[in-house]
Amino acid sequence: MKKKFSFLTAVAATAMLIAGCGSDKEETTDNAGSGEESGYNLKEDGKLTYASSGLYKPFNYEEAGELTGFDVEIGAAIAEKMGLEPNPITTPWETITQSLLASNFDVIIGSMAITAERAERVNFSDPYYYSGGMIFVPEGSDEITSAEDLEGKRIGVVAQSTYDTAAKGYTDDVKYYNSDVVALNDLTVEGRLDAVITADVVGFEAIAAGLEIKDVGEPLWIEQAAVALRKEDKELLEGINKAIEEIVADGTYEEISNKWFERNLLDVDLEGIDILN
Amino acid sequence: MELLKTVVEVFLRTYPGFLEATLTTLQITAVALVLGTSLGLIFALMKISRSKILQTIANLYITIIRGTPLIVQIMFLYFGITTLIVLSGFWAGAIALGIHNGAYIAEIFRGAIQGIDKGQREASSSLGMTRTQSMRRIVFPQALKRSIPPLGNQFIITLKDSSLVYIIGVSELFSIANREAAQSFQSLETYLVVGVYYLVLVMIFTYLLKLYENKLNVDK
Repeated sequence: MKKKFSFLTAVAATAMLIAGCGSDKEETTDNAGSGEESGYNLKEDGKLTYASSGLYKPFNYEEAGELTGFDVEIGAAIAEKMGLEPNPITTPWETITQSLLASNFDVIIGSMAITAERAERVNFSDPYYYSGGMIFVPEGSDEITSAEDLEGKRIGVVAQSTYDTAAKGYTDDVKYYNSDVVALNDLTVEGRLDAVITADVVGFEAIAAGLEIKDVGEPLWIEQAAVALRKEDKELLEGINKAIEEIVADGTYEEISNKWFERNLLDVDLEGIDILN
Repeated sequence: MELLKTVVEVFLRTYPGFLEATLTTLQITAVALVLGTSLGLIFALMKISRSKILQTIANLYITIIRGTPLIVQIMFLYFGITTLIVLSGFWAGAIALGIHNGAYIAEIFRGAIQGIDKGQREASSSLGMTRTQSMRRIVFPQALKRSIPPLGNQFIITLKDSSLVYIIGVSELFSIANREAAQSFQSLETYLVVGVYYLVLVMIFTYLLKLYENKLNVDK
């Protein structure tokens, strides 16, 4: 009789074995009462768990299995100033706000721009960088030379991004992606997209990587990327703002910014340009 | 030829991350299979039981699960249940995949059990066995043997479906592929490589199943 059940037993045994190796993933964290010594309500004691999409080179992306990029390093610097261990994680952009509200991590440090609509659901820290929304087109395209030319064109954007809102203002033909890089890639395929709207830096990174695309005109607007938090985490917001202030004051910020962009991203002349909020 | 070269380059660059992700994919699949097989067995027995209530419950479960997309179930579990219990992406994904498979596996078991000749059951009851005894000793062992091929099929589907949990941020093969593509701008090569990983996994799986089937056939 025993033999007949050996199949199920085998499956069960395999599973035990396999699930056993993954013990590091097996936490159903109870949120209550963590981070007592810091006074913050944190997902994991003594750690700042911050999320990004991980698909937004050079701000947050994975290299050789390690999450890296400007956002990730700024997050680490903020955490260290707060006496916490940095714990960057990735989660899909489309549901990143829902995940934050569901307490799957502490904060979003993933190039999220401040908008009024988002501010209804989450709190934003002070901005930690400014960037421009930029139009990118295929290398050989000369149809689009300014924002006005986007009328009725097919534009690719990441769903739930500020570029998504902008694109809808120009056309009804918007194509959605879960990564800016995939959208930019599609520019190089004949007949898929007329333009992509994304952050200037992200597009420049793609151009540097050899993608046959080009930028058009001036930035459409300037946006402020900030850390997003749950409304109830007021102490954490104060702590993060203080940490941002400190890293700017002591030169850590400039060092990280220079490393990635050879300039200080907070040094932007905001005179006469639309600031999105 | 140029493509082959870049594919090999991508493969060599990405294998550390992909191997780790393979483990995660296998873990999710394993949890889902154990849960799915257990649920499948329970609901199959409920469906063929004589109790109307149990039958109704089983029918309801199977109808709802088969009638909604897996990705919706994953999202539902990940975001919907958090009001009661906070599940990590790994567990939410694995459990959703398990519940999803349970419905299909229940139908596989039910079909196999009902496919066993009535005479078998009559014979065992004339030997004085109770309904439970004849189920356990006579009918189910034969039914299990018959359900191996469709189960194997379902297991392969599960392994591939585990790629859907990328949507809740689990670092399995497909989400690592997404990140690799975003980092290197080499989408075509990256997805080609990750496809090969799945293919190899499924082939190993198929081979193990074949072995097991042959083993079962020896005592025919």
